[in-house]
Amino acid sequence: MKNSLNGWHGSMLRVDLSTGESRREPIPESWLHGYLGGRGLGVRLLRDFYRLEPLAPEMPLVFAVGPLCGSPAPTSAHLAVVSRSPLTGTIYDCSAGGRFAWRLKSAGIDALFLTGRAPRPSVLAVTPQGVEVMDAAALWGRRIEATVAALAERGSVAAIGPAGENKVLFANIIMGEGNSVGRGGLGAVMGSKNLKAIVVDGDRKTVIADPQRLQAARQDVMRLFKASPVIFGQLGIAEYGTPTLVDLMHQRRMAPTENFRRTVFDAAVNYSGPAIRRAFEVKKDGCFGCPIQCKKSTKQGEHLPEYETVSHFGALNGIADLHSIVRSNSLCNELGMDTISAAATLSAWGEAQGRFPTAEEMGPLLEATAHRRGIGDRLAEGSRRWAVGAGKPQLSMSVKALELPAYDPRGAYGMALAYCTSNRGGCHLRAYPIAHEILRKPVPTDRFSFAGKARIIKIAEDTNAAIDSLVACKFSFLGASLEEYGALVSAVTGHEFSPQDLKDIGERIYLSERFYNLENGFSMADDVLPERFFCEPGSSGEGIEVPAIDRARFTEELTKYYRIRGLTDAGRFADAGFLERQP
Amino acid sequence: MKRQIAKYKEKLAADGSADPLRIAFLAKDDILIAEGPADLLPLGEEILARLNVVCAVLAEPSLPFIDFLVRRATGEEPCLVPRDTETRTFLHDIPLLRRADRGDSEKIAALLRRRKGIIVEGLGIVATGAFTPEQAFIHYCSVFHAAFVKYLLDVLQDGFLLPGEEAAFADLRQSWLQPIAIGDLTFASGPLEDRTAILAEIARVGRYTVGKRLVDSAFGNISWRDGQTILISQTGAHLDELAGCIDPVPNDNSSTAGVTASSELAAHRRIFEATGARAILHGHPKLAVVMSMLCEHQAGCNIADCWRQCPRVRFVGGTPTVAGEIGAGGLAEKVAPVIGETGRALVFGHGVFTLGRNGFGEAFAALVEVENWCREEFCRRLQRETSGTAR
Repeated sequence: MKNSLNGWHGSMLRVDLSTGESRREPIPESWLHGYLGGRGLGVRLLRDFYRLEPLAPEMPLVFAVGPLCGSPAPTSAHLAVVSRSPLTGTIYDCSAGGRFAWRLKSAGIDALFLTGRAPRPSVLAVTPQGVEVMDAAALWGRRIEATVAALAERGSVAAIGPAGENKVLFANIIMGEGNSVGRGGLGAVMGSKNLKAIVVDGDRKTVIADPQRLQAARQDVMRLFKASPVIFGQLGIAEYGTPTLVDLMHQRRMAPTENFRRTVFDAAVNYSGPAIRRAFEVKKDGCFGCPIQCKKSTKQGEHLPEYETVSHFGALNGIADLHSIVRSNSLCNELGMDTISAAATLSAWGEAQGRFPTAEEMGPLLEATAHRRGIGDRLAEGSRRWAVGAGKPQLSMSVKALELPAYDPRGAYGMALAYCTSNRGGCHLRAYPIAHEILRKPVPTDRFSFAGKARIIKIAEDTNAAIDSLVACKFSFLGASLEEYGALVSAVTGHEFSPQDLKDIGERIYLSERFYNLENGFSMADDVLPERFFCEPGSSGEGIEVPAIDRARFTEELTKYYRIRGLTDAGRFADAGFLERQP
Repeated sequence: MKRQIAKYKEKLAADGSADPLRIAFLAKDDILIAEGPADLLPLGEEILARLNVVCAVLAEPSLPFIDFLVRRATGEEPCLVPRDTETRTFLHDIPLLRRADRGDSEKIAALLRRRKGIIVEGLGIVATGAFTPEQAFIHYCSVFHAAFVKYLLDVLQDGFLLPGEEAAFADLRQSWLQPIAIGDLTFASGPLEDRTAILAEIARVGRYTVGKRLVDSAFGNISWRDGQTILISQTGAHLDELAGCIDPVPNDNSSTAGVTASSELAAHRRIFEATGARAILHGHPKLAVVMSMLCEHQAGCNIADCWRQCPRVRFVGGTPTVAGEIGAGGLAEKVAPVIGETGRALVFGHGVFTLGRNGFGEAFAALVEVENWCREEFCRRLQRETSGTAR
């Protein structure tokens, strides 16, 4: 198939795992210009399928790269995996970095569209020359590292672990270098297709329309990275990884502790960025080609946990032992399980038991969950289903059944709103208000005020939907902006995208997702925080008051948000034909 | 939102960057909030309706140099590309719109879809804030600063080219380029030991820098070495509003809570290490920025990226001047070795660092001295270069 495009290959690969049949087909140019790639393209490709049950064989699992992947644009070796989440029931996408994305693009496609269920455990190999579905009986049951090692000779690997095979509702897909497609249980979707792993390789180049302009835009981005204290500052994520946030969240009194009963955990100092650096011979690590290298690992190559993971396996469960936290992180990675949801589910369970799991109990509980053994079978359903089943729904600290990450909403009201308006459930990354409410980027906002937050969250959601479709890493935007990334994608594709054009695309993607969710039965009643945040204060002290959230003010701002989005006051579409008008 | 608009409107008037009677501020919450002259608001409303941002400011600078700058731009030149730090790092270029299109909201919005701030001949500067009115204010100030610096450099290089330009410059000299006097200011005598007193002094000195129109409020940072901890202004903090915006950063990095500290933390640390000083003041006084970019070694020099690559230590009025990009871009390594002897250093196209051995009085006085010298020297050179060229 001849490609006349720059940036994109203009084609996708459809594979029906039930029959093993595959075919390459062109992607309409209007879709590429209207949805970019990654999350947006995946969302568009699901338009005819979003009503299917998440684990139905016909439900597509889409791996989509963006126009920047394969180019020297900073932090662009990313892809999005898109399907419907078995945990939340929402449309779901997750962005992940690494060589897999780069190699998928090198295979000559912009998207891999998987449907069906293989008759037996299988591995899918994709190259420019074709597709091979291989028997994976010998790999079924094996952990991530062993699976990757067995396939690495053939290219880059994305695999599930035992958690995905057992359809744990928060099972991840893990890339060969350790990057996770996390949170919403897309590993279970892959497991339900009897697909143990995908291995990709290729030699197709991404054609760049204007290399000189790309180089100039790249320099602009790098200059902004260097000017950003959060990225390349001496205390920033390039030095300490995201655990640099541990001290800040502690100081701001918004670190979720003991299932969000409190917001300060004094022993957090044990697993702060500096503590991790002291305890391990930390080396910089990160996504393929990324200049930031925010991931950290030991000299032996063991990946060290991110902020959300240290905080949830630490404060949320009352555990102060760094080595236990690192072990929990590594175990989740090996089993192919999301660390935030795993730790939060155990924390909800712990509160119900009257005591939280100890450091020693954590490993066996995670193993039981991944293998659905004993109590693990119920924990594998996530905190919402477990808590409802136990008659204690109030103990699940989740929105739309997605467990909340390590930013207490009582300490950042934009975050409170964004957890609820996120189309994939309680996620910090859809609008990422931590950037302005805590990190002061691009400009500081008052974290204890709802004023103006509805529109800020709306704009940030549009922006991030575009970023997830380019696809680039969100951390880039703690320094750069869509101005620079607009220049990058214009240089790569030869098609002019202004920052506002990108936000318009982001808005289309966000609204499409919400449309799908509403059609699947979601409503305003799902756009709400757990009751605890409205009736229990956080841990005030040291001059910082952390009250419970004012429910009336929250509701007022949520209604305002709907209005700004062009929705009805109940958060619905006045125009039932919205989707038909989109490319 | 209304309070924020009132606040930043007042700041634009107070810092002299806009004519107080010609500032229109508009912001979208779920309804539109607009403040300003009646003839500008409908245009502002139309522009804002076309953009996915919270806020827009349309204002006429207090001096006519913006219009001169546009008129001096030859042909259909679509944008200005100054090389000062603000433009180089945050703006990239500043689109221009000619007088004929000054009321065309569609054309103005089309440019603002691409850039944070633009110049419209006959109207002034139009800037947006994606999230807050504060952002629109900062973008306005950045465009104003970059345009001001470029205009002065252009005039020095090419002379007065337009009717009325020389007279307007005489006004500018009178209102902006007079020496700053600081006899009315008081400083705590150091060394300061009490944390509360240190924070109060930092806040006071920050207000001085803006109050004397030495530095725009968002264009600088300040720190104090308190034993093994540096107290430093946060990233994005306004120098005239520093209360609650100072991060304590331990030297041993035992805490990373200071990840929100100024992007110049590395430079402050290196300077403290190299000099043993207690106070550091950093800002972007406009004439100091201009003079830092005048290099007597340009003939025959093949360095293109002077701000980054120039290896020389030049002297501007006795102040050592070096290259170096902000943050992790190398400025810290360049400034620290040269600042100790004179207590002051200039960074190419960027701004000034000054030291206080015991208190902020010395640092503030040095900052003023550098800027005053640069004002005087600029006017002297301009007179020399333009004698006989004026219209």
